Amino acid sequence: MADRVVLTIGTKKGVFVADAAKSRRGFSLRGPFGPGVPVYSTLIDTRGAGRIYASSCNPFFGMKVLCSTNMGKSFKETKSAPAFPKDDGRALANIWSLETGSGKKDLLCGVEPASLFRSHDGGNSWEMVPGISNHEHSRKWNPGNGGLCMHTIIRDGQRMHVGISTGGHYLSEDGGETFTASNQGVGAGFNPDPYPEFGQCVHKIVRHDDAPGRLYMQNHGGWSEWSGPGGPRPDIGVLRSDDYGKSWRSIAKGLPSDFGFPIVVHPHDPETVYVMPLEPETRTCPGGAPAVWRSENGGNSWRRLASGLPKKQSYFTILRDGMDIDQLKNPALYFGTTTGQVWIGREGGEKWECLFDTLPPVYNVKVAVV
Amino acid sequence: MGAVPRVTIHVPGPLRAYCAGAAQLPSAGLTVRAVLQDLERNQPDFYRNICDETGAVRRHLNVFVNSDNVRDRDGVDTSLTPGDVVTFLPAVSGG
Repeated sequence: MADRVVLTIGTKKGVFVADAAKSRRGFSLRGPFGPGVPVYSTLIDTRGAGRIYASSCNPFFGMKVLCSTNMGKSFKETKSAPAFPKDDGRALANIWSLETGSGKKDLLCGVEPASLFRSHDGGNSWEMVPGISNHEHSRKWNPGNGGLCMHTIIRDGQRMHVGISTGGHYLSEDGGETFTASNQGVGAGFNPDPYPEFGQCVHKIVRHDDAPGRLYMQNHGGWSEWSGPGGPRPDIGVLRSDDYGKSWRSIAKGLPSDFGFPIVVHPHDPETVYVMPLEPETRTCPGGAPAVWRSENGGNSWRRLASGLPKKQSYFTILRDGMDIDQLKNPALYFGTTTGQVWIGREGGEKWECLFDTLPPVYNVKVAVV
Repeated sequence: MGAVPRVTIHVPGPLRAYCAGAAQLPSAGLTVRAVLQDLERNQPDFYRNICDETGAVRRHLNVFVNSDNVRDRDGVDTSLTPGDVVTFLPAVSGG
């Protein structure tokens, strides 16, 4: 029976694991594991006995995948990390996403330069998925500020969605064999053509099992003032699709900024979605007053959630994988900041409290009830 | 490494776990490139920490022959003489 809430916190200096009873009081913290090395992605794999995976992205000695079989009490390297074929010409620069695959030991891994890898043995061996990694567009994608990364992998039966910065959203409807750029309605601010076929700087995409075809996207917004070729493009930053990502429409109206990185959907209500608006120039909380914004009607309107959060002088950033929500009946949100804090938003974000105040800069936060 | 060892590879502490704890490895390589090829064949786990999948020495590593950075000599084509010590060191950086 699931009775512990487990948080993985990937930081600039390794991965931490925190856990607590379902009351979510008194989280204990372990780590750092893979000390001193940035961890850009973690995965709490609740299949079977449960495992935690973490990407250990060593700028000197290359990428490793760490695995814990005891829910974060210790970690070991898997036997190998993703690697491009020798004659490919690309070299792995970072591991940005880890997700479960369809088989019980299958894993999927999104990397930089943007490509997808698959493992059938829990991360001990990897193969490149050519349908997206060698897509005809792949050599035309450009790195965003964080690098040319595949940061989002979503499986939905035979469908697979991937998000690439900057490449856009790609959809497979044949289990990952082939992919099509699916960006109708997804704007790009850094391109004279405001709605290109591909090349958008998608930041994160989420879906919900109870709303077939529904997806939410945090895109790279902040272009309402643009006066150059193509003209201004307001509200391109927060989007929704109701046709499996084939077309998208803005749901940014009512937010203080359409720029942000993470987007999270409620575990029991596909109409409820959360974003963390940031100022596009500084990528910090608007006015120095952080707030999560929640919509309970699929993005038609938004409400500010800031009770317990600092009211001023807080200029942190929350990165694309820096926010998550647990699966409990009355779920709590969690986010980690580039200033090393981890916050919990009890009652669906109504009441915020700082769990950890002085960790290294936080790159990602994941939560599961195990 | 079947040929007679000519040079010694110094293994940095964090990488000793990838070559059974060895602090030094012997090599018969006549150049740094040949040493790397030796490592790829005989110490593949260690080699993957030194070189990426294209075969290039990782960007933030420096390779020294004795006290010379090979960048200031002939790169991986730097020739080796018996008794030389080849050292792989992370570039000083970070924060």
